[in-house]
Amino acid sequence: MIAQLVDGVFWNIAVAIFLLGIAWRIFAVFRHGARQDLAEPRGSAASGAIHTNWSRFIPRREIVAKINLHVIAGYMFHLGLFILLLFAAPHIKFAQDHVLGFGWPAMPHWAFVVVSQIAFAGLLLLWLQRVLHPVTRLISRADDHISTILVFVVMLTGCMALFESYTGLRVLHRFSVELFMIYFPFSSLMHAILFASSRGYTGAFFSVRGVKA
Amino acid sequence: MTRTDKRRHRMRKMLAWSGYTLLLVLLLPLLPYAIQAANDTQNNPAGYTPPTVVNPIEVPSPGAELWREVRQRDGSYVGDTQVKGVETGVLINKAGEDWRLFRMQMLVPYGAILMGAILGAILVFYFTRGTLRLAGGFSGKKILRFTLSERMVHWFTVALFWLLAVTGLILLYGRFVLIPLLGLEGFSVTASACKEAHNLFGPLFLFAMLALFITFFKDNFYARGDLKWLSKAGGLLGGHVSAGRFNAGEKIWFWLATLLGFALCITGLILDFAVVGLGREAMALSHVIHGISAVIMIAVSFGHIYLGTAGMEGSFSSMANGYVDENWAKSHHDLWYEEVKGTAIDAQEGKQGGGVPSGGVAQARRDI
Repeated sequence: MIAQLVDGVFWNIAVAIFLLGIAWRIFAVFRHGARQDLAEPRGSAASGAIHTNWSRFIPRREIVAKINLHVIAGYMFHLGLFILLLFAAPHIKFAQDHVLGFGWPAMPHWAFVVVSQIAFAGLLLLWLQRVLHPVTRLISRADDHISTILVFVVMLTGCMALFESYTGLRVLHRFSVELFMIYFPFSSLMHAILFASSRGYTGAFFSVRGVKA
Repeated sequence: MTRTDKRRHRMRKMLAWSGYTLLLVLLLPLLPYAIQAANDTQNNPAGYTPPTVVNPIEVPSPGAELWREVRQRDGSYVGDTQVKGVETGVLINKAGEDWRLFRMQMLVPYGAILMGAILGAILVFYFTRGTLRLAGGFSGKKILRFTLSERMVHWFTVALFWLLAVTGLILLYGRFVLIPLLGLEGFSVTASACKEAHNLFGPLFLFAMLALFITFFKDNFYARGDLKWLSKAGGLLGGHVSAGRFNAGEKIWFWLATLLGFALCITGLILDFAVVGLGREAMALSHVIHGISAVIMIAVSFGHIYLGTAGMEGSFSSMANGYVDENWAKSHHDLWYEEVKGTAIDAQEGKQGGGVPSGGVAQARRDI
């Protein structure tokens, strides 16, 4: 009964909220538009947007020593999460059977274990940094903590259900994913989608003023 | 008799009666064995001689010999098989039964007794002595005790330790505690989930232990005054005892945690990666060491947690925001205080040393 609900109605509702919510958030951002700049441009907005999108992947040399843990943990978590999402065998099978109709090679089990450990370590370090560092603690909101906990729960239930020995564990993982999808559009998790436009806007804004951002 | 004396007298009485009760609870289960032993001695003072068993069937069962071989009562036997691998020729490993008996008859009950006894002792101590208050109260001046990186390493290890401890305890005690609550199927699912999580987070604990060791080992070597600190039980027996950055109790905890932590990691990796070519006896031994280390580490950690939180006023802030009160430093780590007293900052105004302990920009500057 619960398994049917989670696999059926809840899943459809979660997907609908996820997609509509994201569309609504993107529409809301672009609806604001850009302020008209009457000054003579000193650089290309497009090249500034592209440059900043890439340059922000590497921390500035002046501050790298002070944020190295943040950067390393950030890469550990994000790369780990994307590899798990895209190359874990059960995810590929799910995409093939229920979403896309085709699959791709999955990573071996040992790789799954190593990558999930890296991702977990990264997430834990990032959250500890958020809680223990006086500045990040001050600028963190409840939303940031909820997002972290949701991601942690999704990853944990996923690992617990790895061998799919029990339907209950698979259903628990899927239910946590559904909660995550419902929360996603209304939270700071949207940075996964809006980071490109945000960086692009900043890059373009400064580039037309002749500032390398 | 003054009010304080009356209170002390009442506390002593409570402590004594708690001790008697604990003794009674420990001794009561032994009573049936004592009665049985007394009866045996009375009935057979010269000693017990087992009766001679005569096999009533002259012709042995044709299957008996086969099953004697299979069960390998006369010692282990390695057969031939086309399957190549570790112990693939062994049908039944007799040592497995020894391991099972150890787990069920020693590790499970004695582990529970050890953890329960330490928890009980902490509770008795808390209800008799209460939180150890800071002598002279809070001064309002703060001293940095643990940097951000030290706290990160500590909490990273703590998070992994408790994730592993909870999942491990469920695997060890789940059948006794959770089956009555969840049923067989429910416990089976829970145990499977815990096993996966335990195996997954286990290897990470090795990195946490390495980081913890590298971060804290330099301040945890023996120093003059540590024996005196121990002989006076850290001041619990009365009087002030001097200590450096870490006192002898903390040092013992550090080295115990290091020893047990690495034992857990190494044996855990052997159990986690069963494909490396070790036989079942090595695995059983690893499990024995793993179980004993885990139970001791969990039990002792109760004391560490108690002293770092409810047991001692002003301690928790050192691992929460990195700062301790100046009076706390003077009271518990006076030798260390002498080294760092120039760095004290005002908790309210953030003067000197530049910091607001509860979380300001100046503190961030020091922490980063």
